[in-house]
Amino acid sequence: MTLFLGVLLVLLIIFPHQANASQKPLRIAVSSNFSVVLQTLADEFNQKHQSNIQLISGSTGALFQQLRHGAPFDMFFAADSIRPRKLEALDMIVANSRITYAQGNLALYSASKAKIDQETIKHYSARLAIANPNNAPYGKAAKQCLISLGLWDKYQNKLIIGSNINQTFQQIRSQSVELGIVAFSQILQNNITNFLLLPSSCYQKVNQQLVIMKKSKHIKLAKKFSHFITSSEIYVRLNKLGYYNGILTLQQAVSPSKID
Amino acid sequence: MSTLSLDINCQFNGFLLSLKQDLKLKGITGIYGHSGSGKSTLLRIIAGLNNQATGTVKFNDIVLLDSSLVDTILSSNGNRRKKTFIKPQARNFSLVFQDNRLFPHLNVRENLAFAAKRCSHSRLKVSEVLKLTELESLAESSVTTLSGGEQQRVALARAILTEPKLLLLDEPLSALDQNSKNVLLKMLINIQKRLDLPMFYVSHSLDELQQISDNILVLSKGEVVDYGDIHQIIHQLNYAGADSDSDLSQLIIHQQTSLALPLKVNYNQPEDNHGLKTLLLNDLQEIHFPAHLIKDHSTNKQFITTNDLNEQVNLRFFILASDISLCLETTNNSSIVNHLHGVISKIDCSNNNVLITIDCAGQSFFANISSYSLDKLLLKEDQAIYMQFKASAVRTFIT
Amino acid sequence: MVTNPDLLALITTMKMAGLTTLILLLLGTPLAWYLAKMKSRFKVIIEAIVALPLVLPPTVLGFYLLLAFSPQSLPGQLWQQATGQQLAFSFSAIVIGSVLYSLPFVVQPLQKAFEQLGDSLLEAGAVLGASPIDRFFNIVLPLTKASFITAASLGFAHTVGEFGVVLMIGGNIPGETRVLSIALFVHVEAFNYAKAHLLAGSLLIGSMILLALIYLINFKPLREVKP
Repeated sequence: MTLFLGVLLVLLIIFPHQANASQKPLRIAVSSNFSVVLQTLADEFNQKHQSNIQLISGSTGALFQQLRHGAPFDMFFAADSIRPRKLEALDMIVANSRITYAQGNLALYSASKAKIDQETIKHYSARLAIANPNNAPYGKAAKQCLISLGLWDKYQNKLIIGSNINQTFQQIRSQSVELGIVAFSQILQNNITNFLLLPSSCYQKVNQQLVIMKKSKHIKLAKKFSHFITSSEIYVRLNKLGYYNGILTLQQAVSPSKID
Repeated sequence: MSTLSLDINCQFNGFLLSLKQDLKLKGITGIYGHSGSGKSTLLRIIAGLNNQATGTVKFNDIVLLDSSLVDTILSSNGNRRKKTFIKPQARNFSLVFQDNRLFPHLNVRENLAFAAKRCSHSRLKVSEVLKLTELESLAESSVTTLSGGEQQRVALARAILTEPKLLLLDEPLSALDQNSKNVLLKMLINIQKRLDLPMFYVSHSLDELQQISDNILVLSKGEVVDYGDIHQIIHQLNYAGADSDSDLSQLIIHQQTSLALPLKVNYNQPEDNHGLKTLLLNDLQEIHFPAHLIKDHSTNKQFITTNDLNEQVNLRFFILASDISLCLETTNNSSIVNHLHGVISKIDCSNNNVLITIDCAGQSFFANISSYSLDKLLLKEDQAIYMQFKASAVRTFIT
Repeated sequence: MVTNPDLLALITTMKMAGLTTLILLLLGTPLAWYLAKMKSRFKVIIEAIVALPLVLPPTVLGFYLLLAFSPQSLPGQLWQQATGQQLAFSFSAIVIGSVLYSLPFVVQPLQKAFEQLGDSLLEAGAVLGASPIDRFFNIVLPLTKASFITAASLGFAHTVGEFGVVLMIGGNIPGETRVLSIALFVHVEAFNYAKAHLLAGSLLIGSMILLALIYLINFKPLREVKP
């Protein structure tokens, strides 16, 4: 018994754990829905600049709480603008570092129905999946959309609330819910063909913003990365991924008058 | 000779154990009382397992317990309670429990080694004690496979190996069958003599104590009723029923004569004298008893060794008062084997039960007769009388 | 230095669980002993506190620990003063969090074992000259060995499976606080299902082996013999 404990103790001591600060990577806390895209972009950036960027993804809310209480992240890519604003108000960010890095759109999605069109939403009466309107930006936008389309009362009690937009997406994809509202970027990333874009006049676009944390030890690199993400070259790519206004070129765009 | 001084009070089971007594640490002291009289509590207090008692316990001059109030000169709020309490592991007393409490993860030898290792002086060797308790063949056995009797032997051996100044035994034989009891009782007496180890032996069986103890402490409802020589106390307890005192009603025993007498060794007599052996009262009077009383049934050998015979060791027997008949004349024509001649010293009547105390050869004998017979024979104190009782009336605890 | 992220997560998890289990055995044993021997009314209260992590949702525990460890609150500041390092989001934080979270899994089996053992053998030990420490190591431990193994295994396994608490107070930092359970979740979120399946599979197999070991040890007739 003592032998076992002894071995355990030795193992615990041998394996080095904390690397020193200069070797530490640039840690970016990113909201789950943007993490896959950001990973691709970060990998490219790392290649070009020999840097070491690490992503930690999670829900915007949880990441925000952690940042408030000292989480050692250098940058924060939120899914909204509220949390970045709060961090700014708390004087925890580098001055003027808060900037929009993407704008999200909403789409109706079903993995089980034959084809979605304008009529679908009028006749559909089962459960509807959206992200949590209270703390997920895409959920909030979804609620705005439903209200403005006059459908909130109909679906209010039939909602399946996902804790974040990724969860909502999974729920629909796994067919546990027939229909739901997801981010358009998710549609495109997953090559979904059965979807309906929701009119942008029905909701406030989801402004996703980033900030650089004041106590970061890599502020220079962070600024570089921030410029990279907000560059026009990246803008075009994000467009194609469903952010900003790239949608207007697609066939399945629909005008608000066709619904109701 | 050491003394254990007790002056204690302790609440237990709704009773108050209250004792002020100096106990001599010589030979085996029996502690007798009914269930709930406080015997086990007393033993535990002496051992140090009971921390609730107040008062003092002293072993010679060593204070084991002292909860007396001590005045402090400095503090303004009066007296401060200061308690001395020596923990059980530091008292150098050992205890044999009723439920052997052997360590199941150790075999016999290891159980004994446990005690030996923690003994500071180590004069006794494990091998010696194994021999004394006849456990040599079981030394490597697991303790859980042993019989009840064997387990208690191990418990005894283990307690001895701590080389205690006093060995406490709490009803050690209660859970055993009769044969195991016999074996163990003999063993205890033997060990006590060989090691000169004082013992306190708690039991609710007077017969057991009569066989084994030299002195006896009698408890009833938490109080000491009597303390003294075993035979004298038993004889005093014979009168317990006579009093209408309710306290002693618990202690009514089978009225009996308690004897410790040497065996008559007759080199001329054939070994098997019709299955009888003889005790010597004095030069003139003898008592015959069945020979099988002193034989071990399993081996058919006598319990008594030639050593005992040479040293004129006393054997203990008792005769129930109801088994002794009285006669004004002696006779040779009776099938009753024992006839003794003595003088009536006391006559006690209660209800229709008459207890007659007779002096014979310096011993007291007790006989129960009916009040009818008392009147018929017109018995009076100081009257010469003959006692009659069968050989089979002579009993011992070990049967 | 190990660079494979999954292997890194494994090492981090093993270190965290190992350290947590060790600390819990050292702290939990006297606590379990005290609870087993205690007779006052307060026993129930302390037992309830110990059992709290069993019913508290991990996210709730995680959140309050986050507040407690943060550099803005007293415990966090005291730690910073004492060690010069921030407590929140450090490896130490997840160890402390795990200790609290897995406490009942270690304390309860030990407490049961000590209660079952009772006092009779300990009294016997005392009158044979054994001090309390002596009695503990030579009577209690050998007779409750199986329960110690169970407690250690349960504590270890429970810590390995921890998610919510570690995520909240650890911050999911690769190489420092990204443990296996979180790494698995990250793979799922990033749609790396193959890797996720691999991790989940190994976690499952590892747990099964551990549990089988526990039951094997408890089955052997050589385990605690009833006195």
